[in-house]
Amino acid sequence: MASREEIKQRAFAAIDSHADEIVGAAQTILANPEPGFREVKTSRLVAGKFAEWGIPFKAGLALTGVRGELVGGSAGPALALLGELDSLIVQEHPHADAQTGAAHACGHHCQIGMLLGAAVALMQPDVLPQLSGRIVLMAVPAEEYIEIEYRDSLRRAGKLEFLGGKPELVRLGEFDDVDLAMMMHTTSSKEEGQICISGTNNGTVAKKITFIGRGAHAGGSPHLGINALNAATLALTAIHYNRETFRDEDTIRVHPIITKGGEAVSAVPSDVRMETFVRGRTIDAIMDANRKVDRALRAGSLAVGAKVNIQTIPGYLPLKQDRVMNQVFEANAAALVGGSNVGHVSHRTGSTDMGDISHLMPSIHPYVGGATGLGHGANYVVEDYRLAVITAAKALAATAVDLLADGAAKASQVIAGHRPEMTRAEYLRFMRSLAKDQTFEAE
Amino acid sequence: MPDRQELKQRACAAIEAQRQQIVDIAKAVLSNPEPGFREQKTARLVTQKFQELGITPRQGLAITGVKGRVRGGAGLGPRVALLGELDSLIVNDHPHADPQTGAAHACGHHCQIGMMLGALIGLHTPEVLRHLSGEIVPFAVPAEEFIEVERRLQLRAERQVEFLGGKQELIRLGEFDDVDVAVMCHTASDMNEHKFAVGGTSNGHVVKYVQFTGLGAHAGAAPHRGINALNAASFAIQAMHANRETFQEEDIPRVHGIMTRGGEAVNAVPADVRLEWRVRSASPAAVARNSAVVDRCLKSGALAVGASVKITNIPGYLPMRNDQRLQDLFVDNAAQVVGKSSTLIIPARRNRGGSTDMGDLSQLLPVCHPYVAGAVGAGHSKDYLITDYQAAVVNPAKIMAMVVIDLLADGAAKGKEVIQEHRAALSKAAYLRLQRDLAQVVDYRGE
Repeated sequence: MASREEIKQRAFAAIDSHADEIVGAAQTILANPEPGFREVKTSRLVAGKFAEWGIPFKAGLALTGVRGELVGGSAGPALALLGELDSLIVQEHPHADAQTGAAHACGHHCQIGMLLGAAVALMQPDVLPQLSGRIVLMAVPAEEYIEIEYRDSLRRAGKLEFLGGKPELVRLGEFDDVDLAMMMHTTSSKEEGQICISGTNNGTVAKKITFIGRGAHAGGSPHLGINALNAATLALTAIHYNRETFRDEDTIRVHPIITKGGEAVSAVPSDVRMETFVRGRTIDAIMDANRKVDRALRAGSLAVGAKVNIQTIPGYLPLKQDRVMNQVFEANAAALVGGSNVGHVSHRTGSTDMGDISHLMPSIHPYVGGATGLGHGANYVVEDYRLAVITAAKALAATAVDLLADGAAKASQVIAGHRPEMTRAEYLRFMRSLAKDQTFEAE
Repeated sequence: MPDRQELKQRACAAIEAQRQQIVDIAKAVLSNPEPGFREQKTARLVTQKFQELGITPRQGLAITGVKGRVRGGAGLGPRVALLGELDSLIVNDHPHADPQTGAAHACGHHCQIGMMLGALIGLHTPEVLRHLSGEIVPFAVPAEEFIEVERRLQLRAERQVEFLGGKQELIRLGEFDDVDVAVMCHTASDMNEHKFAVGGTSNGHVVKYVQFTGLGAHAGAAPHRGINALNAASFAIQAMHANRETFQEEDIPRVHGIMTRGGEAVNAVPADVRLEWRVRSASPAAVARNSAVVDRCLKSGALAVGASVKITNIPGYLPMRNDQRLQDLFVDNAAQVVGKSSTLIIPARRNRGGSTDMGDLSQLLPVCHPYVAGAVGAGHSKDYLITDYQAAVVNPAKIMAMVVIDLLADGAAKGKEVIQEHRAALSKAAYLRLQRDLAQVVDYRGE
């Protein structure tokens, strides 16, 4: 029986020999960006590779997800490796789709590259039989929580229940037979090193708000109108008046936009719409801030005598990473890039649906360098594909080897030491309890 | 029997003879400014002057009011009140402000005391008085300026007053039950070339004493434990501004106020923030409508941060109705004193935007509330000064005396006509009911 080190070297060799193909896949995806639940070409590319390599897979999960599976030489736990299919929409990005404005301004194309790289490594006949358990290769849709209007239309059409890819896959049972999960994300932050071990992330709920006033001629008879735009701007002000009550440690983020602000300047706006996220470090903190945001929205409508409809949509749960898995991963990262090039970040204030997975099973979500520019900005581009795809693929593959070799001793240890925050049933119940659609009269 | 013109000349001559004394009275009041219901020195001065004329007044009416009574020598007839307002404003930086209290006559009420005594001196002349029927009721009245609401609420809690405006309270006490007609003049600084102006109307209003209650907490260490009552109040004020576009111009809406408490210490989350607010409009219905909007805004402020708000709605003043016949008499006599070209008739619908408790009285009795020149600077500001005491005190003393002569001479024929032709808008009972209905406390918890 080969040592773990020998297995890893075989895996790395496979990645190196497929390097051009893997990087090429990432760059093809870069050139064909597709936002969440619309990743048709990207999904087809992944399915094509799986088919080409003889990996059994299912496609069309949560509309565009692709799930392949590698079975080790003996029974054991199931480890999922995740890659996110979706792009953002950043019109002015140099690689934006001219028609749709879709662009990979968050590096997800590299995730598919590294997923394919890890797959090709772990499927090798001198690697896979040495592992116990299964490796679930998940190309997942819709991590970016955008196009809420569109996704809500999918929901109403019965095609989705949740608006994020991983929550929807959980609902569909695609994580039911998975015991551990990991993925990597690119970063442009130099201080995070070449590979960065990360801690927690904010969770979030999303809100769609409609202020319902009463139209009237803005010059001729404003006294007959009820100004929904005033309700909305006052609601924003009310939110600000609550910021001082947000605790530093809760890293609350409330950042609304107004998506409709009135029809014509000569009419009192009667239909004004807003979207916001309410993010926080813990579920309790999100719920507290969400309650204050709801109250502020009602205050805005009460101020001018408008109605307000508040739709609260479950977003993502805060990310919690498994300490032991991260230790295993960090050792592999240090071996690949040198210990001094491994960075650490304790908390990030963005959100990811990997947070949802982390409530159900031991999960990690480290970062890899290679990108420059501001995340989600027009200047976010991947410059070092060697690092962002090839090295990352090796880190994932090596960690999988550590977890599943030796009869999956390490994975079993991780699972034994992990207490999931929620069962799938509890998760679904909680997520569904977040979904609210309430209309408040001003009184 | 002398004709009215002769009587007027005698009265004016008496006033002219006492010109210096009358102006000095006004200036003495100017130097001793006292806000409403606290006009002790001013009331004492009025009492003394009444006594010098041999009039024994009733004192302490609505705390500081002083009311005299002079019978004409020609038999019974209407009772005509000459009103003068005792109270000052509070304008700390006014050049004549009391350094202790900040009280200052930035609205010219000191001139009213001078002109009321001046008119009394003119009418009290024996060769005038003996030819008048009925009674002259010189009445120094407290607290026209609706200020120091918190302090006056304390008086109310102590049952020293029920209403927070002087004439309102005097109506309640029955001190206008024996008055048939009431007149006064107010100084103004916006008269342009005119010396005398009469007509128009004023706003009614409701007064709000507002207490936002939050939750105190260390503002640095634990702001998340606090509920910021100052944020509640600030939001409420912004909400009012956002509603301004729904106010109608013809209502002459005026929504304004001050913050009388904005927090105790900068390092504590403010838990007790108070406003004194005012909603003025041209009609009681518009006052009620706009008052409801402001109450909604105050509630929204509490809701915005999860605070509580207590709104004490206090009956304010009613719009002014000048009696047309009285107004005509004022116009005629003013033309004789200051000249026709210096006498301005303000259109009946013209609303000056402010409010006066003379408006309350005008709902019950024939009254007239003209304006006289002599002041400069913006009313209620540090710049409001009387620069021409002839115009501000002596002329109106003469004009009021002449109007009273018109009303009460010749067997008070004119006075009786005024009373007979007048249609009161409200009975005293209806007035008290209306005002008491406005006195409501709203308690709202924002959650």
